[in-house]
Amino acid sequence: MSFKNTKINLDYNHPVRPPSTVMKLDRLGSFHQTRLSFTRRLIDDLKYQKSKIEIHQWDIDNSGIGSAIIKIIFKKEILSLIIFCHSINDEERTDRVIAEKWDMTFSLFKGVPNKNEINQLSKNLKIQESGRHNSKQLTLSRANKSQRIFEKVLNDLSIGKQPSAKLINDVGYLIRTTAVYGNGKFGIGDFSNTKGNEFLEKPFQAEMLTVYLIRYFSIELINFLAKKRGGKKSLTLSKHLAKHLGVGNATGLGMAPFLVNHQELIHQWIYNREIAISRVFSIKRLDKKTQNKIVNYIHQAFKYSLQWKVDDQLQSKKINELNLDLKKILQNTNLTKILNFNYPIKTLFDFYKDDITLETQEILNSVFIEPFPELFEDLINDMGAKEQKSVLIGFNVNDILNIIKDNYKWALEIDTTKPAENYCFWYTSQTKLEPRLGITKKDAGIDKQLPFDIAHQIKKTLNILNKLPYDMTASEVMVNQPELRNIIQRIIINKSLPYSEIQNNLIGKDMKPIDILRCKLSFFGASKFDPKSDLWTRITLFQGAPMPNELWKTNVNNWLFPNLPNV
Amino acid sequence: MISVSLNEVYSETYKALRSVNIEWSLAKDCANKSKWLAKHGQYFLGSILKTADLYKNNKISISINKNTNKKPLATALLGLLLVEYVSANKITWKGYIDNSKFLLAAMGIIAEEQQINLTLENEQKEIIAFTKEKKLYVNSNLDTKVTIYSSLKTYNNIEEKNTKFTSLKKNKEVTNLNDKCWERLKSMAFETYVPESETSKSGAGY
Repeated sequence: MSFKNTKINLDYNHPVRPPSTVMKLDRLGSFHQTRLSFTRRLIDDLKYQKSKIEIHQWDIDNSGIGSAIIKIIFKKEILSLIIFCHSINDEERTDRVIAEKWDMTFSLFKGVPNKNEINQLSKNLKIQESGRHNSKQLTLSRANKSQRIFEKVLNDLSIGKQPSAKLINDVGYLIRTTAVYGNGKFGIGDFSNTKGNEFLEKPFQAEMLTVYLIRYFSIELINFLAKKRGGKKSLTLSKHLAKHLGVGNATGLGMAPFLVNHQELIHQWIYNREIAISRVFSIKRLDKKTQNKIVNYIHQAFKYSLQWKVDDQLQSKKINELNLDLKKILQNTNLTKILNFNYPIKTLFDFYKDDITLETQEILNSVFIEPFPELFEDLINDMGAKEQKSVLIGFNVNDILNIIKDNYKWALEIDTTKPAENYCFWYTSQTKLEPRLGITKKDAGIDKQLPFDIAHQIKKTLNILNKLPYDMTASEVMVNQPELRNIIQRIIINKSLPYSEIQNNLIGKDMKPIDILRCKLSFFGASKFDPKSDLWTRITLFQGAPMPNELWKTNVNNWLFPNLPNV
Repeated sequence: MISVSLNEVYSETYKALRSVNIEWSLAKDCANKSKWLAKHGQYFLGSILKTADLYKNNKISISINKNTNKKPLATALLGLLLVEYVSANKITWKGYIDNSKFLLAAMGIIAEEQQINLTLENEQKEIIAFTKEKKLYVNSNLDTKVTIYSSLKTYNNIEEKNTKFTSLKKNKEVTNLNDKCWERLKSMAFETYVPESETSKSGAGY
C-alpha cells in the first residue's frame, strides 16, 4: 500500500484490533486526542483553505460588555462568529446546562449578518435555547469566564505583569463553554445543508471552528480589557502563555447517548482510528529522524501527564500510573534499539502492552499515529457516515441469529436478570430536554426510559427468534413484531459496521457514563480530562493550538500533548 | 408561523409519537418519513398530528394484514416496514392505506438507500407512483393524496404507457409551520420527558 507525500510503503497489513477489544467502556474511556481528532483536522483545513481570520467589528466597553464579530474569510465564502458579552453576577454563573445567563453568547453565522439579522441575534442569542434562531446560524454557544483565573490574569496584565505560568497551566483556559449546539437545534441551520461544502460538510467542523474562534476572542478580550484598565503600563499576554490557553468545556450526560444513537458514525470514527493504528504497526523500518520523533512524543506525553492534575481520585490514580509507565519506557536504555527492529512500533507496543495500563496503551497509540499524518489523509477526511433510515433487506432469522452469536457474545454473557444489571435507566429530562440517568429503584420515570438496554433487547430477541422458522425474512419478523425493529436494525448495522456497538451493559451498575463522554471528546480533540463525577467532566479544547496568525507556518499542526516548561 | 429545521422535524415527531405509546421504531420511521417529506417540499405536520389522534383512538391499523376501508393502514407508522416487507419477500401487497404521502416517502427512502424498484397502484390498477434508479416518480394525472385501496409490489420492467410521471411537485416553505400545530407537537413531545431527579442533579455543573 502506498500513500501520497511519503516514501513509506506498507507491504504488510497488521490486523486491526477486534471490536471485542476496542469497544469496551474502560478502553473507550482511555482514549486521547489523535491526529484524526476534529480540532486537529480543523487546523489542517483552515491552513489548506488559506483562510483569513480577522476582527470585523468590536463594540466592547471598558467593563467587557458589548458585541463583536470575527470574520473567517475563505476563497468562496465568509463565515462570522457573532459575539455578545453580557453583565452577570457571580452567583448566576454556573456550568450547568440549565443556566439562564452567561458572560458571553455566540453563534457561527454563514456570511456577515445585516442590521436586521444582528437585531434578531441580539434578542435571541442571549436567551439561547429559549430563543428562535436563524437557518443561517451554524452553531449556538455560550461561555462563562473562569472565576479561577480570568480576573487574576486581567489584573496581572493591567499592572504590567505576565500571569503565573503555573496558574495558566493549572486551569488551561480563560473561558469555559457550557454547550455548543449545531445541526438544526432551536431553528439553526441543518448539518445536511452543508453537503457539498468542502469545509463545512465534515462532522463537527462548524462546532470546532466556533470553539477555536471563541478561544481567539477570549485572548483578544483579555488583552483589550487589560489595556483599558492599565493603560500604558499594561501588557498583552505573552505568545507562549496565550498558546497554552484553550477553551474550557463542561460536558455532561447530554452527550452520552450520541454514541448509542449514531451507530454508523461511531463505527466510522473508531474503525478509522483502528486502521490508523494498524498502519503504523505495519511500518517495517523507521529512519533515525522518525525514531527520535517518537521518543520525543513519548517525552511530551510524559511531561503532559506530570502537568495533568485532577481532583477525581480514580483519574488521579490513572494519571499516576500513566506517569510511571511512561517513565519506565523512557528509562529503558534499549528504547532506540527496539525502534531499530523490523516493525518497530508494533514491537515496542508488544514489548510493553502487558505491563502498562489502558490509559498508557491508548496514549501510546496517539503518540504512534502522530508522526505520520500523510498515512491517514484518507481517514482524516472520511470521518462522516451516511445513516440508513431503512433496514437493509436480505436477512432472515438464521442470519440474525448468526450475527447475534458472532457479534453479541458480550451481551449474551450478561445476566440481565440480576438487579445490578438493571441498576439505572436513561431518560430525557423535563428541565433540560436532554438525556439523563435515573436509578431504577429510586427515581420515577422508568416507564419513559430510552431504549439503551441493548444487552437486554438482544437476549429477548434471541429467545423470540429461536422459535421462528429460520428462513423467515427479518422484514416479516418486524412486521409481525414491530417492537423488535429497533434491535434488529442495530444487529443488521453491526454486521457490516462492527465498531458500532459499545460492548457493555449501559444500564448496569458498573457502567460509567464518563467513559462514553471521554471517548466522544477524544475524537473532538479534548485534552486535560478533569472528571467531576462519573457523570460529567471538564475538558480543554485547542490548548497548544496555533493562533490564527500562525496558521500559515510549516508544521503548524504539531501540538499533541501541550505542556509548559518550568511549571 | 414558525420556521423549523429538518432536525427539529425529526426529533419532535419522534418524541411526540412516543407520547401516545407508539413503538420506538415506528415513531422513528415516521420521524424519518416526515423529514423526507419536508426535505422534498411536502406538507407533513397535520398528517402527523392526525395519525397520533387516530392511533390513540384506535381508528387506524398498524397491521399490514388487517386493514379495512374504515380502519386503514397507518402509512405514517408502517410505510417503511411495508416497503421493506414487500421488497424482501418479493410479494404484491394489497390493502387500504390512510395516506399515500407517507408511503411515497417510504418508497423514496428505500429507493435512495437500497435502489429497489417498486410500484404503487390504485384499485383501477393505474400506477400512482414508482421508484427507479434511486428516484421516486409520481403520476401527474392522478391525485396521490387520496385514501385508497392500493397495491404495492416490486417490478423488473415497467410499462409507463402514455402516462406522464414526474418528481414530486415541491411546495415552498413547508418548514414554515403553523405555530399552534407545532406547539401541539412539541407539547406531545414534552410528555415523554421526566422531571429531574436528585440523581440527575449530580450531572454537569453541580
